[in-house]
Amino acid sequence: MILFDFDYERADTLEQAVALLARLQGDARALAGGTDLLPGMRMENIRPGLLVSLSGIEPEAPQVLADGSIRIDALTRLATLENSELVRRVVPMLAQSAHVVGGNQIRQMGTLGGNLCQEVRCLHLDQKHDYQFVAPCYKRGGTCCYPFPRNAPEVCWSVYMSDIAPALIALNAQVEILGETGTRRIDVEALFTGNGLKPLALSQAELLRAVLIPAAAPGFTWGFHKSTVRGGLEFGMAVLAVALQLAEDGRTCTDARIVVGAVREGPVRPVAAERSLIGKTLDEERMEQAAADTSRVVNPLPHHGFSKRHLMDNIRVHLRRTLARALQRARDQEAGR
Amino acid sequence: MSKHRVTATVNGDAVEFLCETGETLLEALRDELQLTGTKEGCGTGDCGACSVMLDGRLVCSCLVLGVEAQGKTIETVEGMAKGDELHPLQRKFLEHAALQCGICTPGMLISARALLERNPDPTEEEVRYWLAGNLCRCTGYHKIVEAVLDAAREMRGA
Repeated sequence: MILFDFDYERADTLEQAVALLARLQGDARALAGGTDLLPGMRMENIRPGLLVSLSGIEPEAPQVLADGSIRIDALTRLATLENSELVRRVVPMLAQSAHVVGGNQIRQMGTLGGNLCQEVRCLHLDQKHDYQFVAPCYKRGGTCCYPFPRNAPEVCWSVYMSDIAPALIALNAQVEILGETGTRRIDVEALFTGNGLKPLALSQAELLRAVLIPAAAPGFTWGFHKSTVRGGLEFGMAVLAVALQLAEDGRTCTDARIVVGAVREGPVRPVAAERSLIGKTLDEERMEQAAADTSRVVNPLPHHGFSKRHLMDNIRVHLRRTLARALQRARDQEAGR
Repeated sequence: MSKHRVTATVNGDAVEFLCETGETLLEALRDELQLTGTKEGCGTGDCGACSVMLDGRLVCSCLVLGVEAQGKTIETVEGMAKGDELHPLQRKFLEHAALQCGICTPGMLISARALLERNPDPTEEEVRYWLAGNLCRCTGYHKIVEAVLDAAREMRGA
């Protein structure tokens, strides 16, 4: 039971949903899968005056466009993503990142757009504040930060924990955003502000319509790893996504994108570490160095009981392995051809 | 809080109920329709005790608003047995003693049935992965997995 009053409207089209959201600017939310929004409302972290339900809108099936890129409706369920034959073949990293989200029920309910638009998390924020805390924290309009008491006013160090966003950024994907004035298209990377108080660069009356992923060129290989304690049904300690472009020799890297998720207010790209790989032969030493550099520059926030030191070690070790696996994948593909 | 009139199909029967905007499907099932087989565990989508089928999808009914059920087809644990005859999964859960306190059992049964409908011959790993969203704090899962595999064997006629 959600204990505060709110209105409920069902939209038949995304355009209608945007119009409804715009009418109550600043106080309305779109409801897709509900797996993140409804617990947030129950905890009263989010208190919209109006919910606009998108449950009546059927997502389009994923499709490959003329230029080889793939277009995926933002309302596509995560279970559809992980099981879609097309997605598994064309963008296996996306299928893998959807596969590791939550449990079975969550993946059958949650949507791609909802996963990208999920709220930031914090051990203190995600508890019922009424009886746990004396004063609300910055994120709830209050005057303190419980995990980081010396934070400057209005600074919320919470963690954005999407598993799919790092994969999409590594794949250089874009999102199509529908607003009152029409559609705009931005890189998935540009969707994140890095500000815990307002983690997404979306206005209240904007909705994600689709995700577009460019076609992979020959020599493309990838690695993805979600580091967890139990191995399933939980948020990541760190989520690592790696996309590499290899030259014909299969060892020289011509382009690299590394993304670390679940450690800051948005996914982080260690650009210097990426550059250190470009034009080089990927050997053990080089990958080890890139992983070590990454763990330093992403500056992980201690979250959910994990210390900064632990998270840095975790990123270093797992990124090295993820890079090695990406390279191995390229070799296996070459051998299988 | 305003009340909404909702019509839906629950276990094959057309039903109509009134629910408040903030009421979850779980509360609507239990409190409005008196279908108390579906249990509330965590209320935040972690434990899977409230699993039901909603238009063929396995969902946590605590994460669905009651009003969202409008026009939808819902299947709960009450619909599994045919009269006095238990569903093979239910019988195998009893035979293998795959339950202790029983709070997770309705969710486990619904979830396991959804698996066997998709994949009549799952491996142990597939069963464990599929049931990962259903937590049990008593039996330790082993007997539950055995019961599901045994039921799958029987339902295949093997």
